[in-house]
Order: sequence, then structure tokens, then C-alpha cells
Amino acid sequence: MTAIAPAPTASAGSGSDVQIPSSPVLELRDLRKSFGETKIIRGVNLAVKRGERHALIGPNGAGKSTLFNLISGHYVPTSGEVVLNGKQIGGLQPHVINRLGLSRSFQITNLFPRLSVAENLRISVMGQHGYRFSMFRPVAGLTAVTAEVDQFLEKIRLTRRRDDNVGDLAYSEQRALEIGMSLATNPEILLLDEPTAGMSLEETAYMVELIRTVTEGKTLLVVEHDMSVVFGLCDQISVLVYGEVIATGEPAAVRNNPKVQEAYLGEEVAT
Amino acid sequence: MTRLRYLLILIALGVFAILPVFLSGNLLNAIIKMMISALFALAFTLAMGQAGMLSFGHAAYYGLGAFAAVHAMRFVEAGAFSFPTPLIPLAGAAVGFLFGLLFGWFATQRSGVYFSMVTLALAELLYTLAPTWNSLFGGESGISTIRGASWGISFGDDAHVYYLTLFWVTLATWCLWAFTRTPLGRLALALRDNEHRVRFLGFNTHMARTLIFALSCLFTGVAGALLAIATEAANYTAFSSKASADVVLQTFIGGAGTFFGPALGAASMTFFARVTSDLTRSWLLYQGLLFVLVMLFVPDGIGGLIAEHSKKVKKGGYKALVLPYLLCLVTGLLLLAGVVFLVESTHILLSDGYIAKTKSSGGAAVPFSFFGQDFNPRSWVTWSIPIGLLLAGAALMPAAMKVTGRAWLHATQSAPAQGETA
Repeated sequence: MTAIAPAPTASAGSGSDVQIPSSPVLELRDLRKSFGETKIIRGVNLAVKRGERHALIGPNGAGKSTLFNLISGHYVPTSGEVVLNGKQIGGLQPHVINRLGLSRSFQITNLFPRLSVAENLRISVMGQHGYRFSMFRPVAGLTAVTAEVDQFLEKIRLTRRRDDNVGDLAYSEQRALEIGMSLATNPEILLLDEPTAGMSLEETAYMVELIRTVTEGKTLLVVEHDMSVVFGLCDQISVLVYGEVIATGEPAAVRNNPKVQEAYLGEEVAT
Repeated sequence: MTRLRYLLILIALGVFAILPVFLSGNLLNAIIKMMISALFALAFTLAMGQAGMLSFGHAAYYGLGAFAAVHAMRFVEAGAFSFPTPLIPLAGAAVGFLFGLLFGWFATQRSGVYFSMVTLALAELLYTLAPTWNSLFGGESGISTIRGASWGISFGDDAHVYYLTLFWVTLATWCLWAFTRTPLGRLALALRDNEHRVRFLGFNTHMARTLIFALSCLFTGVAGALLAIATEAANYTAFSSKASADVVLQTFIGGAGTFFGPALGAASMTFFARVTSDLTRSWLLYQGLLFVLVMLFVPDGIGGLIAEHSKKVKKGGYKALVLPYLLCLVTGLLLLAGVVFLVESTHILLSDGYIAKTKSSGGAAVPFSFFGQDFNPRSWVTWSIPIGLLLAGAALMPAAMKVTGRAWLHATQSAPAQGETA
């Protein structure tokens, strides 16, 4: 793979040196998860600071998806802590975690296929506005919700497809909507699970640029296989191998880390 | 378009309002039952069609609504408290909602087939419990009561019951329709499509599904209460799995994907059952056959068919469809006549009475009568009738399908000439 070619945008971003030291938004402390006898996550420590764009990379089977599922509440940790803004969230229900300010997107497209694009977004937005189980007023009258839906449509560049069924969208449009919906719950930290999986080169480039603009100022944690995406989007990289983080740091440092080269990047180059 | 829809609804309401003037008590009763089953189907569709929860035990809430109404009426009758008869359906609504919350809380822990199984089991629980619990469900004979006079209305006349039913069914239908436009109503659709995703958008999906299920049970309870008011009785058979299955079949025939379709399906199937059960003992067979045919050829049901036509057929397109549809009708009638002949004659030939007659005649052919005609079961002429009908229908079918398909394209496509000139 030619994927390790340095991306100019990332070095520009990380080289600006205006980072404000702050407490981490998300912190994993000695997090462990076993399925039966099999230890998938074996003591992960990770801190994602406010405003950081953090990539989580690692070979197949390293436990990246499991880690996402632990953080977002899909799985209950075997031991250890997941701390969001100083609050332990490990083992809480997904909807509680979402309301505490953590939202995620999914690797496989995970939308409401028989609803329109705007309705998909509206589900996200109306929950954010507190209309969860409201049944005594029509949704069309919630002008603040509709306005925000239109704003997000504009951001993810799907205004033109507002009333189309999601099932009729192109794949990359569905992926954009997926991210838009995760973003519309207004999270403090956004977890993106392989946002460019299955995309062509142009689509990937478009998506990276889109993600960069829509997540401006947001804290990101991204799982990604495509190294050009990682270097183009993120200013911090953590490498997960066999359920452990073997290195964390800025892209250049991680790339030159011999342990990483041996465990992951070297293997990638070799294949 | 929406203006046309409002106009149609107003006209329909107007027609319903003046019906009692023209109809006999018997027919009025049939329409009351049709309205009640239509409401039942609409309430069921809230859970099934909109939120994707296929309940196989909705008869539980229908029956509970009926018993709640009967008990309320009995209390009024005994003078325990006074409660106006027109508001009795509220008792059904309250009991339906409460049990919907309780049972729904368990059932909605699971989705898909497992959800269906839990709802079925809970309904069966009531069905087996009711005949043995005399004080509450009146044993096998059930409980009967009398509609009390209130607000200066005696409620002894069929027309009074008719208007009471019409009022409640209209109100409940409006509520159910308005619900689809609320945030929770929109959330129901999202839950149907992808519950997993809803959870990660900050919604407690178990709570949401329980609440939506309970609302469906609330309106089901109203339907049950209306039935109890109309019949002045409630019986444990209201809990039977047949009642649960009926509403599922009716909803699918009507089209679970549309709002009004299930009401049409339920009303027409109730009417169908009433008419055919008087004519033939094989009516359940015809009902089953109808269901299979609808699922095979019109899987979106009556409502889906109407929606297709109103959305896709362009202006003036119906002209092209009239003749092909007539051809389809003729084909269908030929096939139907053949099937009916075979089913009915088989039914007669296998009946105990006919077998006894052949025995007593000592093996000679005994003619059987049917539609006022006598037929000899041993003559090839007799059997050539249904076979001829079926063959004629089968021969026409490919042509009818081809012609209809072509006409449909013609009626729905926007002027094909445009493509040629461009």
C-alpha cells in the first residue's frame, strides 16, 4: 500500500501549535473485555483531549470495533473504566451515553431506509430538542427542529435530496447522512467507525473533506483502515494491536516508532 | 390533493351520518361490526405497520376492553355509580392502555418473532384463564348486561348504537392519524426500520416501544368496548387466537403499509364473512383462499393498490385501464365460478346426508342439487362445467395479464412520445 505518504494538511494542522492544554473529554483506564476465555481488549489506556482529532488504527482483529462498542455502550466492559467528562460511563445504556455527549457512526450503513433524508435527520434533531416521546403536537409545527434539520442538510450537502427515500441515495450520500445523523445529536465527542469504508478514491477524498468541515471544532475519535484518511484527518494516532495500545502520539512520531512499524505499518507496507 | 382528500372524508362522513335512515336493523348491525373491526385493525396497525411490532395476541386487549365495558355497564346497572353510556368506551381505553403497558413492557424486551411469540403467549394466558375465572369473566357463558339510557337517549335502538359507534370510531381514527404526525409517531417508523440505530441517537427504545404498544392497545380496548356495547355482552372467546389472527389477516389484506388500508381490509373482510357465512359452510376456505391470493398478487393489500393508482396513474390514464380491468374481472369470475362449483359440490358429496342417501339407494347415482339445479355426480357433463370454467379462465389469464401490464405502463408513463421527439 502506498498509504503512508505524508499528507500535507495534517502536518499543517498539527504544526500550528495552538493547542490549549485541557482535561481529556474521553479517557479509557485499563479497559478490558473478554468474551468467554478470549481476551479481546487487554488493558487499554487512552485519553482524547478536547478538540483533538484522534485516530485509532491497528491490524484486523486488533479490537478496534470492540473498543468502539465498549465506549458507546453496546458492550459492557469486563473491567476498567470509560470516563466521559469525568463521569464513568462504562456499561451504561447506549441512549444514556448518547445523552451524556457521545455519539457514534457505524461502519455498515445504519439508517432508516424507508424514511426520507430529512426524516432521518429529524429523528436525531428532535431527540436533541427534548421531543422524545412527545405525542400531543405535530412534528411539522416544531420550527426549531425543522430549521436545524435544514442546517444539517446544508452541511452534509444533501439539501437537494431532502425528500428522497434514504434507500434511493448513492452509497457515499448514505455515508454522509450517517455522519450527519451522529453529529445532529450534538455530541461533545464523535466516534466515527471507518467513515470511508468501501469508497472509491474520489469518494474517499470527498468524504475526508466533508468530515473535516462538518466536524470543525469537534472532538473526534476515528477508526480507519485507509492511512491517507488517517493522516489527512487526524492530529493524534493511537495504535491498537491485540487489544493493547502500543503507541500514541502525533502522526510523524507514530510513523517512526519502531514498535509500530514492526507490528502494523511494516506489515502494511509488506503486503 | 389534500383538499380532495378532506372533501372525500367529509362526503364519507355525511354518507355514514344518513345511513340509518335507509338501512334495516340487520344491515345497520353489520355496519356497526364493520366499523368496530376497522378500528381494531387501525389500532393494530399502529403497532404492526408503523412500529414494526407484529403482535399475535392483540385479541387480549380487544377482549379486555370488552370486559371492562361490560363491567362498567353492570356497575351502572346495579346503581353502584352513574356513568353515561356514551363514555363507556373510556373504560375499555383505560384497561387496554394499562394492560398494554404491563404486557408490552415484557413483550417489547424482544423484537421480531420473539416479540410475536410473547404477545401470543400472553393472549393465550387470558384465553385459558377466562373460562375458569367466573367472577371476572363469567365462565364459559360470559357476562351480559344492558345499555343504560343516558343524556336523554335510550340506546335501545340500533341507530343509537350506530351513532355512538360512528362517533367513537371517527374520533379514534382521527387520534390515530394525528399520532402519525407527532414526534413519537415519527419515531415509531424509525423503530420499525432500525431500532438499533434509534438507541444510539439517545432514545430509550424499550420505553418508546412499550408506550407505542400501549397506545395501540388503548385504541384496541376502545374497539372491544364498542363491541361490548353493541352486543351487550362479553365472552371469553374474544381472547381466542382466532380473533388475534383475524386482525392480522385483515390488516395484511388491507395493506399494513398504508394508514386507511387496514380499515378497508377489516371492514370488507367482516362484511365478506357475514355474507358468505350465511351462504356456505365453506366460507373459511374462501377467506383463506382470498388471503393467499392477495399475498401472492397484491402483497401491499387494498391500500397499497389504491396508493399505487392515486400516485402513479397520470391524468386521463384511467381510460386505458377500463377494458383491461374488465378483462381481468371476467377471467377472475370464470376461475371463481369453477372453484366455487368444485368446492360446493365436493362439500355436498362428502356430507353425511348425501352419503346416507347413496347407501339407501343401493349404489345408484343420486343427483345433488345446487343453485337450484340437479346434477348427476356420475355424468361427465356435470364435471365438464367446472373444468370448462377453469380452463376458460386459465386460457384468458395470460392474455389478461399481458394486456393489463401494457395498459398500466401506458397509464403511468409520462407521454412516451416525448422520448421520440427529443
